[in-house]
Amino acid sequence: MNETVTSLSLEDLLRGSERRGEPDWLRDARERAWQIFEQLNWPTRKNEAWRYTDLDPTWFALDLEETGPAELRQRDELPRAVRERLAESDAEAALVFANGRLVHAALPQELLEKGVVLGDLHAALRNNADQVKGALYQAVTETGLQGPEDKLAALNAAFWSYGVFLHVPAGVALETPVGVFHYASEGGKLGLSRTLVTLGANVEATLIEEYLSPPLERTHVATGEFLLGPGARLRHAGVQTWGAGVRHFHRQRALLERDAVLNDLAVNLGGSLARTEVASELVGPGADSEMLGVYFAGAGQHLDHYTTQHHVSAQARSDAYYKGAATVNGRVVYQGLIQLEPTAQKTDAYQTNRNLLLSREARAESVPQLEIAANDVRCSHGSSTAPVDEEQLFYLATRGIPRAQAQQLLVAAFLEEVLGRVPLERLRRHVAHVIEARLGG
Amino acid sequence: MKQTLEIHDLWVNVEGIPILKGVNLTVPRGEVHALMGPNGAGKSTLGKVIAGDPGYEVLRGQILLDGEDIVELEPDERARKGLFLAFQYPVEVPGVTIANFLRLALQARRGEEVALGEFYGKLQRAIETLEWDEAYVTRYLNEGFSGGEKKRNEILQLMVLEPAYAILDETDSGLDIDALKVVAKGVNTMRGPNFGALVITHYQRLLNYIVPDVVHVMMDGRIVKTGGSELALELEERGYDWLKEEVGA
Repeated sequence: MNETVTSLSLEDLLRGSERRGEPDWLRDARERAWQIFEQLNWPTRKNEAWRYTDLDPTWFALDLEETGPAELRQRDELPRAVRERLAESDAEAALVFANGRLVHAALPQELLEKGVVLGDLHAALRNNADQVKGALYQAVTETGLQGPEDKLAALNAAFWSYGVFLHVPAGVALETPVGVFHYASEGGKLGLSRTLVTLGANVEATLIEEYLSPPLERTHVATGEFLLGPGARLRHAGVQTWGAGVRHFHRQRALLERDAVLNDLAVNLGGSLARTEVASELVGPGADSEMLGVYFAGAGQHLDHYTTQHHVSAQARSDAYYKGAATVNGRVVYQGLIQLEPTAQKTDAYQTNRNLLLSREARAESVPQLEIAANDVRCSHGSSTAPVDEEQLFYLATRGIPRAQAQQLLVAAFLEEVLGRVPLERLRRHVAHVIEARLGG
Repeated sequence: MKQTLEIHDLWVNVEGIPILKGVNLTVPRGEVHALMGPNGAGKSTLGKVIAGDPGYEVLRGQILLDGEDIVELEPDERARKGLFLAFQYPVEVPGVTIANFLRLALQARRGEEVALGEFYGKLQRAIETLEWDEAYVTRYLNEGFSGGEKKRNEILQLMVLEPAYAILDETDSGLDIDALKVVAKGVNTMRGPNFGALVITHYQRLLNYIVPDVVHVMMDGRIVKTGGSELALELEERGYDWLKEEVGA
């Protein structure tokens, strides 16, 4: 099977690369990715990793969203949804993309002076050529995160049309989060974005990426590559709040050198279908990867998550904790893999998934997995799925709290265990508000 | 408007088995009634049915709150009309703080925003009356609470929400004498012309501190005897057997 339902072609790819004035190495990488994309079949439920999610190739047979030169606007000229989020965010440095085009960029002078780079990935290819060349496709290659080749990763590697580059030089600590907003208002498009983060030694940085749109039919494939130098600390949050009708595919992988710390949070609340794959590779001893996730699926939503904790080095630590809820006929999926190489002695690795179901038609699938090739390690995994506690609902009801609001309280309480670990108060509140709005009342 | 909580000929099954068999009972505002009876008489079932527990099947009868039949209403609707049930076994709700939950409940009861200042004022007064520690209100609802703390928390909620009618389901069980006195003090501060209470208890002990205006005795799903507070003392002294014989239950 070699379906070419997509409207994409090698000619388009080469033309686009030339039009954007991309360097040869990038064009070659795109072409390699294209070949892999062409060779691979679309995943089906026969693939273990896609057991619970149907993928329809026509979702990718949409108009590729082309980027264009930046059209920078002031904050007050941005789409309202983005303005509101910016106003509610602590981010001083921020990028806003609308329909694949950079429309707003803010980077405080102070950070510029420290050598921080935040901007459009295309611009960085010109202005920070060597840095980008040495980093792009390192964490997420043309074939995917690791393991089986991945057609969607290849699609993004070949055709990504816009992207983010964040570089923080060694020793610099960012005091406030960097915000990146992916906004869309045009339906019928295939959007492909790539985020590249390179942190020097002992950097401290927080990056919040949000995806938002009104309800519309659209497919987005996002890739995140995070390279953490020795002792670097990155807090990242990916907050998917697309409107109903959007399909979202997310591939993200971090490489953690010695003593590097990643605190990742994946939030899946929007869209009709989302598949989020988050991976960490612990390359150096003392590295620590925390991967958190919260999700809430309502009517007609299907939210699928896959985490990978890949321990290459000895004496590293990782913890994946995903919690989510589903109501009406919403469906949630979690699969997680802890993978320990023979070299990964003295590893601490934990993985937990818990699901809360608010209705009889809601469903959750949970598949934690361990692959351990080292013998002196501490590993644990656990998963559970339970209906909402009717006794708790009754107790709250006898105090006058309506059912919808009581459910909101219980969902928020359920997710608190994960969100409580994230010291980004305003982001936590935002997530709580989105869920409240979805539960009505 | 009638100012009573009236139960008329209430029949209730649990999993097909009749538990309440024609209960009749009236608690006017301004009065505290005790509901006593041996284990298994149906006292707690009555409390839960009045509150609207979906686990019970009402076959027949009426529950009139100030003249309005509330049998078909959801438990939260009943609560907003002024009903409160202090649970025998309060439920733990991890992740929801007492303060947050109680403010939402008060707002739901009033149907409007309640200013933080006013809310904390009420909370503060209730905490003082109950000789409790303010730190409790930032804790998750009943999570890890001792039996006594849970009961104190029920009365705290009662005092903040100020219902028209409260049902206290074995609030005395599991309390030592000091805790019992404090809980009784909380309930007694609520007493007044706008508040009626039905105090369900197995023992007379609580009634030394919350002196009832009327005592009802329930056996085998019915109210079999009603009297003054002296009836409770008589039951304490003589047990329930004589009454069983008297009513043929």
